[in-house]
Amino acid sequence: MIQLYHVSKRYPNGTDALVDVTLRVREGEFVFLTGPSGAGKSTMLRLLMVMERATDGQILIGGRNIHALRDASVPFLRRNIGMIFQDFRLIPRRSVFDNIAISLEIMGMGGREIGRRVNQLLEGLRLIHRAGSYPGDLSAGEQQRVAIARALVNEPAILLADEPTGNLDPELGQEILQLLLDVGRRGTTVVVATHDHTLIDRYGLRTIVLTRGQVSEDRPRVVGRVWDRPPSAAEVGPAVAPPGAVADAQAAFFADDGAEAP
Amino acid sequence: MSRGARPTYVVAQAWQLVRGSPWLAAVSSLTVALTLTLIGLLAMVLFNANHLMRELGRNLTLSVYLAESAPVDHVASVRKQLEGKAGIKRIRTLSREEDRARNRRLLSPELLQGLDEAAIPGQPMLEVEIDAELASRGDVDELVAWTKQLKGVDSVEDVEFGAEKLRLLFALVEIARTIGLVLAVVLLASAMFFVFTTIRLAVFSRKDEIEVLSLVGATPGFIRLPFLVEGALQGLLGAAIAAGLLGLLHLELRSLVRDVYMLNVAWSLLPPGMVAWLVVGGPAVGLVASALSVGRYLKV
Repeated sequence: MIQLYHVSKRYPNGTDALVDVTLRVREGEFVFLTGPSGAGKSTMLRLLMVMERATDGQILIGGRNIHALRDASVPFLRRNIGMIFQDFRLIPRRSVFDNIAISLEIMGMGGREIGRRVNQLLEGLRLIHRAGSYPGDLSAGEQQRVAIARALVNEPAILLADEPTGNLDPELGQEILQLLLDVGRRGTTVVVATHDHTLIDRYGLRTIVLTRGQVSEDRPRVVGRVWDRPPSAAEVGPAVAPPGAVADAQAAFFADDGAEAP
Repeated sequence: MSRGARPTYVVAQAWQLVRGSPWLAAVSSLTVALTLTLIGLLAMVLFNANHLMRELGRNLTLSVYLAESAPVDHVASVRKQLEGKAGIKRIRTLSREEDRARNRRLLSPELLQGLDEAAIPGQPMLEVEIDAELASRGDVDELVAWTKQLKGVDSVEDVEFGAEKLRLLFALVEIARTIGLVLAVVLLASAMFFVFTTIRLAVFSRKDEIEVLSLVGATPGFIRLPFLVEGALQGLLGAAIAAGLLGLLHLELRSLVRDVYMLNVAWSLLPPGMVAWLVVGGPAVGLVASALSVGRYLKV
């Protein structure tokens, strides 16, 4: 699903954020991206979102070379990648419902369908009673759950999370990670950048360690740990990402998805 | 894949933007309103002046008022003098009754109600029709010169020549047009400046929101549209205010013409299609100004 070939990123001030990184994340895989501050975790996520362009190398997402992607096509790539941030990035002037609905509004979906999907997701996340609230009235954990809902409501193929538990106390962090695991188990490719080692050690999932812009370690998933446990419905309630028409649209964007089959 | 933004979403977001800085939006709308009112007023004045000039030009006459007791041979002699001049199309002799009947038609019916027939002004006169081509050229200096001579003739009480008024009207309209156009340009520029600034501030205050929209995959067009609609909304509001002001002015002007000048005006005082022009023009001004602002400050 995600392939990097000899990717480097040098900033105009001469800093090398990434140096000759080559790696592959398969479809449906759950990966932790870790390393000390400034190791290049955020830069990698920014490159995947085409918030920045690589200085060297090729990046393929769903088989498409995003190095060659025209600016006009970038929004359509982003609709296939949900992203969540440490600081949630909710729009304070919009209600919880409207914050989540944005991801569907931009696709031109009808109002009734938007209402159905957003409400379904809010129920799954036990946030339905907060639909009319504003982000400022929510706890940090609730805000991050809304941000996750916004990232998932259009059923992206990939979910990127940049320090999603960074602003939360450990207990809430666990809850959010559990949510991301469930998303992953349903088939979404998930990349979580974090330097929280207790989280990483607990789950035994594939972990890529970046050090000074290079991959210094790539630990595979430990078989038989959390990942292999069947998802519990109680954890997130009914379907977090209901299948529907949006998924078909994504398939159209990743036309040559088969190219990366092992 | 992308069907574009829902209209209700775009309008709701644009309205949110207006509510974000209501005072500035109000100032923008008022400047647009002021601009459109002035342009509308100018159009109204020019339209009516043109109409008036056309009417006057078509029936441009020299009225030679005769003394009540003027002997018949004097009248014939004056008439003969006039017939010798160039640019005269037709001469009609009117008795007092004929003049009175004509005046009655010019006055408004309300004014005539209960009025004694004898109170309507009437005087024996010669009505001299001037050649329309001569009148339209405004080349009337010669005619003006010898109407003054006529005043000295026996039995001629007064000479009234519409062309003099016409020339004054021409000059006034010319001045009004120039001043109006300069003012309109200045006001239009300031209206656009206010809309431009409002949109610029709205863009700055929504920086975080714009970034989020961009990250979830909104196209630049989707992000920009509410800002453009906000500009158009300000223009539309301005146009509505202007339409109201012009409507009131129109009513005032009509009652002024009827009650003070006691004229029966046959034509509408409002230029045709003016309301339509306002409704299109207001949003257009807002849209152009916001497009300039968005193009300059909203980088996606």
